[in-house]
Amino acid sequence: MQRKRVLLLAAILTLATTIVVPSASAAAPYEAYNYDFYGDPAPLPAPYLPDYSISGSSLGVGDFNQPNDMYVTQDGIIYILDSGNARVVVLDSNLKVLQVITSFDNNGKEDGFAAPEGLFVSEKKEIYVADTDHNRVVVLSNDGKLIKMIENPKSDILPSGFKFFPLKVTVDKADRIFVVARGVFEGIMQFDDKSMFMGYVGTINVSPSIWDRIWRSLSTNAQKRQMELFIPTEFASVDIDSKGFVYATAVDMTSDKTIKRLNPSGQDVLKRFGYWPVKGEIRFRRFGNNSGPSKLTDIKVLDGGMYVALDSNRARLFTYNDEGDLLYVFGGRGNQLGVFNTPVAVERIGDKLAVLDRGKNNIAVFRPTEFGNLVRKATIQHYNGNDTEAVKLWEQVLRLNTNYEIAYLGIGKSLLMEKKNKEAMEYFKLGMSRKDFSVAYKRYRREVMKEHFGSFMTVLLSLVTAFIAYRIARQVIRRRTGKREAGFY
Amino acid sequence: MKQDFIKFPLHLILHPFDGFWDMKFESKGKVRVSLAILLMLVLTVILQKQFAGFLVNFVDPRGLNSLDDLQFTVLPFFLFCVANWSITTLMEGEGKFKEIVMATGYALLPIVLINLPITFISRFITQEETAFYWLLNSVASIWFILLLFIGIMTVHQYTPAKAVLTLALTVVAMGFVVFLGTLAFSLGLQIYWFIYDVYREIIFRT
Repeated sequence: MQRKRVLLLAAILTLATTIVVPSASAAAPYEAYNYDFYGDPAPLPAPYLPDYSISGSSLGVGDFNQPNDMYVTQDGIIYILDSGNARVVVLDSNLKVLQVITSFDNNGKEDGFAAPEGLFVSEKKEIYVADTDHNRVVVLSNDGKLIKMIENPKSDILPSGFKFFPLKVTVDKADRIFVVARGVFEGIMQFDDKSMFMGYVGTINVSPSIWDRIWRSLSTNAQKRQMELFIPTEFASVDIDSKGFVYATAVDMTSDKTIKRLNPSGQDVLKRFGYWPVKGEIRFRRFGNNSGPSKLTDIKVLDGGMYVALDSNRARLFTYNDEGDLLYVFGGRGNQLGVFNTPVAVERIGDKLAVLDRGKNNIAVFRPTEFGNLVRKATIQHYNGNDTEAVKLWEQVLRLNTNYEIAYLGIGKSLLMEKKNKEAMEYFKLGMSRKDFSVAYKRYRREVMKEHFGSFMTVLLSLVTAFIAYRIARQVIRRRTGKREAGFY
Repeated sequence: MKQDFIKFPLHLILHPFDGFWDMKFESKGKVRVSLAILLMLVLTVILQKQFAGFLVNFVDPRGLNSLDDLQFTVLPFFLFCVANWSITTLMEGEGKFKEIVMATGYALLPIVLINLPITFISRFITQEETAFYWLLNSVASIWFILLLFIGIMTVHQYTPAKAVLTLALTVVAMGFVVFLGTLAFSLGLQIYWFIYDVYREIIFRT
């Protein structure tokens, strides 16, 4: 009886522990993936997991109302542009509210924002607000004093009656201001440090398809007037990296170059060496539910040349390295923590990522997992040229995910540097890079040929000699028999 | 044996007018040789997909299926022969079905002879040298098309223009055959499921 009871107790205990203790790895509310060489989405271990969320009420400043943008400085100060409430909420790195900017002193008058869409904080800690409905960009000092305003840009190249609707704003080290404005198709507006309009950078080219052209050439003038014009698409967001290159995204349904990296003279210099175009989703439905290409509405430059783009169409985050290889994709739509309703901005807080959700009026903060951390560190090491360090990290990445092609390529390239051509070939084959494989194979082949040239020539020469000897011998024997035969006559 | 399987086919692909004439009127061609070449082609296709060098092999290894390769080589072959026979019978072609099979089979020989060795060589080339691989590949295909054209022309005793016309019509006819085939298949399935449903209805009703 006693024994039975003990057994029963043990059974209950084991049952209880299995129920109470959740599985050690908290499941992500999304499936992370990456596109492999064949264009199939290959599942990945989640690179980031949702950590916590920040909302207006949790901060004690009242609920956010349609926040549109946010910015996080290097030292972790978070600026949130709470558009519906026309205010900027500033948090320190411990998520304590530092200040709430609702108004500022404009030449003795109390002034505020109207439906502002964009926010940027320069290295001098000056706050730039794209005050959309007031047709101006407001520059405030870090304690909320007005420094200057950019309004009514004047230039010969601007049409008369031009209305300035700034949407997103970014500032470089020389205080040049890059503004994405509504209804401006010529590119990103650029202002100098004295708020003078300098011109456009990064014009998007229009390329009507052949079908469009045929259709247009067949239609009458009256029909043509009814048609849509071939107008380039507007930019959707801008960010700037530490070298002063402007990263911009555009919502363009037909283009493969929706992410651009503009050099100071305005040319697109983004590296696109990956297997697939740098445009977010590669495979998607053409029609129906959840269809269409990615709408990249925000971009953030991370360390080591990486950048993350936010797809507002399917609410996913695409992270690329500096060469245009897709590293990982995660996120999705939903109500749980970690999935979004209407994500509008992505920022980095240290090694974490924060996504501002306009629909849920909160910020979701993601912490990197072991896998995410390893990939990030390896990419940074590779970017900085520390390939030996990178290889160690890539090997750990492969232990977590043997299908990670970029890791194979990273190891392969380092092996190639060390002249281990045969091993490099194997890794490049696993990483599916034909170009690199060819380089490694060429070196390997030369090596083998050099090594075996002696024996190869020996074999060849002895074969040739043997053949000649055989021919001579046959000739001699034939002649002899011939003579002998001749002797009978 | 050597004459049938090696000498005559090699002579034919190098001297097609002469060769196809001999095949038809001197009865030097053999159907079994033609079918052997077809099997060699299947083998070539399978080997090429499996063993061509990494630089030229874009086949997804997860989708490799030798049985698929077999049916997607053999079925189009006979589809072409049947379609061509149907068209040329109506258009005063002199060729028998046997001769069409032979002409088509012999015409395939260059593909076998070129693609097999370059599959082997492709394992030892670099990116810059892949151009030769693709060049030889296209040479094989063009040679095949040329031989097929001459073969059909000779077998049916057509003028070149008429041969081109019948070949084009053959392609159309192949489309028809496939369409009718799928139609019949789908109707057959409908009938099968109808009978099956009636049967189930009856056994559950008692």
